[in-house]
Amino acid sequence: MRTASPPVAPKTAAETAEILARCDRAGDKVSIVGGGTLRGMGFPAERADITLSTKRLSGVVANERADLTVAARAGTAIQSLTALLSTQGQFVPFDAPRPQYATVGGTLAAGWLGPRRHLYGRLRDYVIGSTIVLADGTIARAGGMVVKNVSGYDMSRLYVGSFGTLGIIVQANFKTAPLPKHARLFLAPLPERTRARACAQLESLSMRPAAAFWIDGFHHAVDGDEGPEGRVVVLLEGSEALLERATREVRSALGRAGVPETRVLDAGARESFQRVVDAYVACLGERSVTYRLASPPQASEPNVLRANELARKFEMRAEAIVDVLNGDIILRVNDLDARALGAKIEAFDDALHEIEPRAQVIAGDHPNRIYLRVWGESPPAIAQMQALKARFDPNRTLNPGRFVGGI
Amino acid sequence: MLHERLIAALGSDAVKTEPEDLAVYAFDAYTEGGRPAAVVLPKSTQEVSAIVKIARDCGEPIVARGAGTGLCGGAVPTAGGIIVSLMRMNRILELDLPNRRVRVQPGLMNLDLSRQVGPEGLFYAPDPSSQQISTIGGNIATNAGGPHCLSYGTTVNHVLGLEVVDDAGEVFATSIEDAGYDLTAALVGSEGTLGLVTSAWLRLLALPEAVRVWVAAFDGMDAASEAVSAIIAAGIVPTALEMMDAVIIGAVEAAFHAGYPTDAAALLLVESAGFEEDVAASDAAIHAIVKAHGAHYWKSARTLAERNALWAGRKGAAGATGRIAPNYYTQDVCVPRSKLPQALRAVEAAARTNRITVGNVFHAGDGNLHPLLMYDKSDARQVAAVVETGNVILQSAIELGGTISGEHGIGWEKREAMTRVYSTADLAAMGRVRDVFDPRRMLNPEKIFPNAARCPEVAPP
Repeated sequence: MRTASPPVAPKTAAETAEILARCDRAGDKVSIVGGGTLRGMGFPAERADITLSTKRLSGVVANERADLTVAARAGTAIQSLTALLSTQGQFVPFDAPRPQYATVGGTLAAGWLGPRRHLYGRLRDYVIGSTIVLADGTIARAGGMVVKNVSGYDMSRLYVGSFGTLGIIVQANFKTAPLPKHARLFLAPLPERTRARACAQLESLSMRPAAAFWIDGFHHAVDGDEGPEGRVVVLLEGSEALLERATREVRSALGRAGVPETRVLDAGARESFQRVVDAYVACLGERSVTYRLASPPQASEPNVLRANELARKFEMRAEAIVDVLNGDIILRVNDLDARALGAKIEAFDDALHEIEPRAQVIAGDHPNRIYLRVWGESPPAIAQMQALKARFDPNRTLNPGRFVGGI
Repeated sequence: MLHERLIAALGSDAVKTEPEDLAVYAFDAYTEGGRPAAVVLPKSTQEVSAIVKIARDCGEPIVARGAGTGLCGGAVPTAGGIIVSLMRMNRILELDLPNRRVRVQPGLMNLDLSRQVGPEGLFYAPDPSSQQISTIGGNIATNAGGPHCLSYGTTVNHVLGLEVVDDAGEVFATSIEDAGYDLTAALVGSEGTLGLVTSAWLRLLALPEAVRVWVAAFDGMDAASEAVSAIIAAGIVPTALEMMDAVIIGAVEAAFHAGYPTDAAALLLVESAGFEEDVAASDAAIHAIVKAHGAHYWKSARTLAERNALWAGRKGAAGATGRIAPNYYTQDVCVPRSKLPQALRAVEAAARTNRITVGNVFHAGDGNLHPLLMYDKSDARQVAAVVETGNVILQSAIELGGTISGEHGIGWEKREAMTRVYSTADLAAMGRVRDVFDPRRMLNPEKIFPNAARCPEVAPP
């Protein structure tokens, strides 16, 4: 791989378009970077003559507070947008790891799936409009600043999760939601014998938490007891009255499952939740690889047990964050050093995909990462996807090879 | 030759070729277009696939059709071709209760789905006013909304995956859980121009524990629409927030006795659903806002029957206008919610200028206007006045930063208006998607995209 330096950082959509048009004509390949927080997702670009950074394409361009809509440029840090919205009692459930660095454009391009989506919906469902620069330098807008819009194809949702392979998102418009007034976090140890019952109880609560995790490992990354047992972390959000009732429900559900003493946190609840989300992509240098296994909630518990079993067989240490309500398993495997990990990670990767064919790599800097099935099995409609890529970026100028199926 | 081949593949029972049968399919709920060469009613994905292959051999375009309740000609065969009516594919295929999802065929009626999963404590959220007749497939084609999408989102938020027959008759599947591009999102709302949906995985939601429906009455439309803007600006998003004017209130009361106060100039129908605690709090906050904006009446439905009556009035509103004029045309535009008062004044002014009676009944919380323009289609002056009024309303919505369709789609009727909101570059980006899925422009031609002669950027490659 050739790496170009330093990155170019255009300040406007027009400048971005000029750079892309020039590269596209010259046959130069362009690698796109935002905050770099999700660089562990996907393959590295197979060639990068130019690295284009969105960092100077930043700032909120429209804040229609009374409409509950906001528009931000791609390089805007998630944390600054979230902070602005929160001062006016609004939010968008980005749930991005390391939001002080993560950008609006990068989080959308990566199609990031946060743990609160089971309650608030997917990030893509908050995107009401976008501006994109295509490989040939065309600047195209989609949608607008209204919350309902059926005028042609929903191009904005197509760009979400496209990993910069169709174009560069330079602006995104969002609808926002009222920020829940209060948040409360539960932390408790989760001995092995209580896990299955605790997960089942949490899943069937009538008052759904905003997030619920069973965490095994990640000792210093996540708050709570640092003993040898796992932990359960539950985030509740809502009005005060609602939290009172939900608190009783969660306490009695965990009690029924045999979970010992529960710690309740009001101040700093959201910060503590954020630390769990940050841990999704926290890696141990070149010593670890982190997967996301998307199982239906019902299958997540058996799947994590099988994955743990597998790691033991390969004599690797496995840590897991199980998102009980969506069914996601974040599985981080590591070994003593990069060489030890390198010797077995490919065989482990094969075996893991037998358990969950769609498992994806989401973090880890190990050099052998490129030999893994980082996107999981090919989706059934891969031919249509490759054809879309060919129609939008026939010269493979943008992030070539970064995405699934060689896209 | 076409007829014989279709009959050989599907049986004569599934193929209509008589002129009087074909004539029925020249319409949707508003628009009239060309005559189809044939109408076929497949019962399976394999049959849909066979039809597309025959159509391709014979050079005939394909128009997929659900219940035909669309209002902008999306399912009308303006370019002739074969109508594929999906009404016989109306079954629930798989119900996965633990994971709250269901796989259905496209011809299933929207309301049937919620009825069938209701006993399990679940429902399907998108609820267009046509839900007693419209189909899931048609809802997917137009990304249908409805009153409750204010809080639950439109159809696209509830589709988990699709089975699709492509322009060559091959079957492919999409899922929002798959790696790669979100083809599901691209297909929802594509109005039958990218493929024919033959089954869909849908998300089901748990029925809320508490539901309260209120009616608030005002002396003027301005006051009511300012109240709506204020509710949203206060960060309160009820489950539904609908508005009606005096013309509609009168028509609905005459037809259904829904229980609306008949002396009101404007009425808000507010639904809060969720947990007891939240519903009570949001009701109190909304009540304070509507009172501050001059609501002189505020009443809740006390029983389930009263609640259903209030909703039945809303959902039957368009039909009830038959008492006022023989025909109506529904415009569908969406504006930023803070612009509602201006948008409604523009509607009023356009109708007055053109001497047309207008009734407003719409999804106020979303800023999604549905002015019903009433007329008699045997009167040429009125027909011309309705067209002009609709056009002025469209233009004023665009000028207020809005869009030309909130939930009904573009279809045939609004395709030339696409150039008023999108640049040729914007449309060309959509055209690239079309190029991949339907390069020969045989799937629902003459829809969504402006005429290629006038907009060469969207011509086939």
